[in-house]
Amino acid sequence: MTQADELRRLAADLRAEARPDLTFMEVCGTHTMSIARYGLRELLPDGMRLVSGPGCPVCVTAIADLDRVVALARLPEVTLATFGDLIRVPASRTTPAAERAAGADVRVVYSARDAVQIAADEPERQVVFAGIGFETTAPTIAASLLEARARGLTNFSVLSMHKTMPPPLKALLELGETPIGGFLLPGHVSVITGTACYEFLARDYGVAGVVAGFEPLDVMRALLRLVRQTRPAIEIEYGRAVRPEGNVVAQRLMEQVFAPSDADWRGLGVIPGSGLALRPEYADADAALRFPVELEPPLEPAGCRCGEVLRGVTDPADCALFGARCTPEDPVGACMVSSEGACAARYRYRGIDD
Amino acid sequence: MCLALPMLITAVDGALATIATAGLEQRASLMLVPDAKVGDYVLVHAGFAISVLDETEANETLDLLREITAFAADDGAEADDAG
Repeated sequence: MTQADELRRLAADLRAEARPDLTFMEVCGTHTMSIARYGLRELLPDGMRLVSGPGCPVCVTAIADLDRVVALARLPEVTLATFGDLIRVPASRTTPAAERAAGADVRVVYSARDAVQIAADEPERQVVFAGIGFETTAPTIAASLLEARARGLTNFSVLSMHKTMPPPLKALLELGETPIGGFLLPGHVSVITGTACYEFLARDYGVAGVVAGFEPLDVMRALLRLVRQTRPAIEIEYGRAVRPEGNVVAQRLMEQVFAPSDADWRGLGVIPGSGLALRPEYADADAALRFPVELEPPLEPAGCRCGEVLRGVTDPADCALFGARCTPEDPVGACMVSSEGACAARYRYRGIDD
Repeated sequence: MCLALPMLITAVDGALATIATAGLEQRASLMLVPDAKVGDYVLVHAGFAISVLDETEANETLDLLREITAFAADDGAEADDAG
């Protein structure tokens, strides 16, 4: 049986078994991409909605945090290293890419380890790694920081904008703006966290969750498992990679380096305990402490509804800017910049993903 | 951002592994999966192996990836979001 046959069979089962008016939310940019790219919304039964939540790390990064990234990039002694997704995102008045064009030393790296190597190769530079991402990425930053320390590199520091996934799920359910019948839980976050951190969804809110992989078959199988639950529970569809206990080594490294902190989320505001700040023992490698900068008040882009899109309240196509003033080539808001933002994914696959 | 791809470990040198998939060879840290060994399939994210996959299941994934790569051959969507 080919994948297409299997997808059709799963779609038929969903149509036969789903009750009407179900809304499921995915909270992972890679799911957003996969769903849009393979046109999976086309396969869903009438009445079933699949919305994107706050799962794109670049998109949920607050403007004020991006302003700090830009301010650090402007310091003459600083080499700002970060992932490719971040550099085109608008801060209040500029982007890291624009600062690079204006002469700032901004470098795109594939891994935080590459930034550590830059620090080793160029001891006269202060290498600041602008760290974004959820639990998938945070352990790699923790490991890199420990590697820098083990190598005696004092010119490597981290600006941590890392966030954790369970708190915004709770915040969304508390807000109650969108009726969420279940979550497609993020596969690669869950590789690290395991599933215990999601149990509150079923226990306290009666909302189901299935940890899903990223192939079209994974997504459809996970949706079917959500539909088939008779009692809300947390399950794993992505069993080839995710263990219930998660990656304990990575969890320990993350806990060694980071402590929970309050974090500001675009669209959701400050959520207590949802961020990962460097622990005091690593203050010497905390770029926010090491390079204090004065920031002007943040400016949100006018007319941008990215915050509502990230809460699953507004569909990207319902924003007046979508596809007109706001395109991936000339984006207004973060959800159109990051390739895995809900707006960018919808725009790129328009005609497939309607 | 959270993109991670299954790759085969072909050599291990301390906490660094040589990993390969579909003709592409690179290095990844094994700091997060210290028990991984040559012959294991691992999920690689941002230069780090983060999970050891069951080989049978990894092969199923690689078969799927090949099928999908053929389906989306002209689509470089994920080229820039490995992070």
